[in-house]
Amino acid sequence: MFTLGPAEWQAIEVTFRLCLYTTIILLVLATPLAWWLAKGRSYARVVVQAVVALPLVLPPTVLGFYLLMALGPRGVVGRTLEDLGLHHLAFSFEGILIASVIYSMPFAVQPLTEAFKNLGRRPVEVASSLGAGALDRFRTVIFPLTRGGFVVAATLTFAHTLGEFGVILMLGGSIPGETKVLSVLIYDHAESMNYAAAHSLSLMLLIFAFVTLFIVYSMTRRFRVATL
Amino acid sequence: MIHIQAQLHFGEDFELKVDHELPLEGVTGLFGRSGCGKTTLLRLIAGLERVKGASVRFGDQCWQQGRHFMPLHKRRIGLVFQEHSLLPHLSVQDNLLYGYKRTPADLRRLHPPEVTAMLGLNDLLSRRIDQLSGGQRQRVSLGRALLISPQLLLLDEPMAALDTQTKREIMPFLGRMAAESGVPIIMVSHSPDEIERLADRIVFMQNGRIQRIETLHESLARPDSPLFEDSGAVSVLEGWLGDVGEDGVRPFGPPEARLWVPAPIQIPVNTHIRLRILARDVSLSLVNPEHISIQNHLPVTIERINLPRDNRCVVACRTEDGQLVLAEVTARAVRQLNLEAGTRLYALIKSVALLE
Amino acid sequence: MSVFARSGQLIALLVLVLFTTHLHASGPLRIAAASDLRYALDDIVDLYRVANPDAAIEVIYGSSGKMTTQIINGAPYDLFFSADISFPERLKAEGLTSTEPSVYALGRIVIWSNTVNAADLTLEDLASDAISRIAIAQPAHAPYGLRAKEAMQSAGVWDAVQRKLVFGENIAHTAQMVESGAAQVGIIALSLARFPDLATHGHHLIDNALHNPLTQGYVVTKRGGDKPEAMAFAAFMATGQAHDIMTRYGFVMPE
Repeated sequence: MFTLGPAEWQAIEVTFRLCLYTTIILLVLATPLAWWLAKGRSYARVVVQAVVALPLVLPPTVLGFYLLMALGPRGVVGRTLEDLGLHHLAFSFEGILIASVIYSMPFAVQPLTEAFKNLGRRPVEVASSLGAGALDRFRTVIFPLTRGGFVVAATLTFAHTLGEFGVILMLGGSIPGETKVLSVLIYDHAESMNYAAAHSLSLMLLIFAFVTLFIVYSMTRRFRVATL
Repeated sequence: MIHIQAQLHFGEDFELKVDHELPLEGVTGLFGRSGCGKTTLLRLIAGLERVKGASVRFGDQCWQQGRHFMPLHKRRIGLVFQEHSLLPHLSVQDNLLYGYKRTPADLRRLHPPEVTAMLGLNDLLSRRIDQLSGGQRQRVSLGRALLISPQLLLLDEPMAALDTQTKREIMPFLGRMAAESGVPIIMVSHSPDEIERLADRIVFMQNGRIQRIETLHESLARPDSPLFEDSGAVSVLEGWLGDVGEDGVRPFGPPEARLWVPAPIQIPVNTHIRLRILARDVSLSLVNPEHISIQNHLPVTIERINLPRDNRCVVACRTEDGQLVLAEVTARAVRQLNLEAGTRLYALIKSVALLE
Repeated sequence: MSVFARSGQLIALLVLVLFTTHLHASGPLRIAAASDLRYALDDIVDLYRVANPDAAIEVIYGSSGKMTTQIINGAPYDLFFSADISFPERLKAEGLTSTEPSVYALGRIVIWSNTVNAADLTLEDLASDAISRIAIAQPAHAPYGLRAKEAMQSAGVWDAVQRKLVFGENIAHTAQMVESGAAQVGIIALSLARFPDLATHGHHLIDNALHNPLTQGYVVTKRGGDKPEAMAFAAFMATGQAHDIMTRYGFVMPE
């Protein structure tokens, strides 16, 4: 049943790359953002918090539509890139990467915000008074004490990106090697009535998702990190 | 000298407004009720609160002025907080060395062996943080702060979260640290007891303003001292502790103003200590009474008799070695004994609290 | 502050890496094709690969309308085989083509089912109570769906079937809806009904006088204009070998 052809391997590679890059980029972006969000409850923070959480409630098609409008050759971003002699971003790996980063943002930001809130300001103040600069504090105090939050953020981001479909279909089409991720390939297989292939890929994703969530929940037990 | 000038508002009802110079010698107590702004002032000095328009100058260093702001990690300030603030993922040893390692070698004046010895930490070094008692944690915090060889130590109610027993256990360490480390200390406290034990100088705060800066003795000499609000007038006597005598009591002070105090034998001979004496534990007698259970009779001269409050007067008396002892007696007694400034008499001290 | 600065640098670096990887000028030949070609074109590409073993070809199937929108929005397709020539013509009007749209086949629609014997069904039967769910492709963007609608309108059953209709994304999806049992019958492309897996069940060929012709046209996109492979493959579609396959799947060849 698990016979994977070149098309499947290609989709797995694209998916894995997408998930990995999304996770890395999001951790880099979400860390300072979550830090800022965890520091208070100002009006600006509530606005940002709501914006970050938007993908949780919006249909993926809304995001896909606006991204297509923005990143395509007629959109602001796409046209600017073309003017610079670069390629626009619709129907490209970079395009769906940007979409994934936005789409999975709450799954990285929220666990980190929660972890930073639980950490409180005291350990950071202590480390500063002991002569540690910002990066030093992050490396030796903040990260070790919020490791669980980072693990949860990374796994949830990875898993959620894996499950992305609507946005990718709208913005990426289903171009092999570029934007044809596993979820799109499964859709494609089902549409062409290639049920065996759809089945084996679906089962694979199912098992992977379960293992991921299992890791996340055992982490939250261990580190007492609140998640979504 | 540290000079602080700042004005900030918290909501509608709280404003902190200061423009003062605080002397930097020994222990400066920052005293006031909860919510008077003392912790905020401390955070301002530390650079934990970045207040617009504030300026903080420490000696010839400018810590904050206009757009210039030196972050805490460059100020070399040792911080000790009320609740335990050890880094839970590090051992006692690694907590102690966290700041030490980050202090440039040429600035290190205090080193682990002497600090661990001073604070009695040698047996704890390999422990995990969660294996320490509350008092041990505060001692490690103190040691950790000292090991950055700070220019200034800021203690934010370091004993407020400890029970009485633990407080008693840690107090000697704090006292020794203040005396031996040579680092100026600013200590926030709302407890007169702590201030009287440790402070050399007191900054009184109320409603976000600094009301007065004076030495401990100046403060104890005025009848309306805020330190007296809770337990009434108090005097603090300083002196050297002598050798253990009969019955476990030890001599204190010079022969002309000798007291006999019950002091544990662990305290070495010739230790400079403070005694805290509540005015209501002091009686006055025109003759040196015999056949009386009170052991300590100090010859003194009345310096001033404060106006009676609730029919009780605080009588300020000068000892033979020039220190102040306050006695609280009834107005009626003052009248009957015909007490007035210049009267020589005996202060009968019923009990003393030893402040090492 | 410096955490922000540092992460800013990291992001800039990542973006740079991303864009440099995107600067690959030529890639494989990408063909956007209408879903009715799903099996026929696969066979043709296989055949083309026999003659050109090094050819890198990717075929992406979908509804013609959606493919058109994607191309307008910058999708990187070199060749576009539409189920209706009006779509390539629209691309031409947008200035997104490098050849004239031309006809490569005429399509036919059929009634197909794997639960009832569709060979005995007529369009009129679709109105009967025995049929509960009918799948057609989305008329708004799938030409086969539009023709199905026209045929039912001509047969006078369009109003009667309204409440039974379910719409597939494209014609292959429509066939799958029937095959999976989600719909009882469907109006699908003859080319799909001829696919071996579906051909085990009968179908009823709908009279092409009942609807506008399914004039299938292709075009080389502006992007594909630089690629000799695009022209080469377009030329291969006009060969007898390719025509044989198309005919086998029920397409009528032009002229």
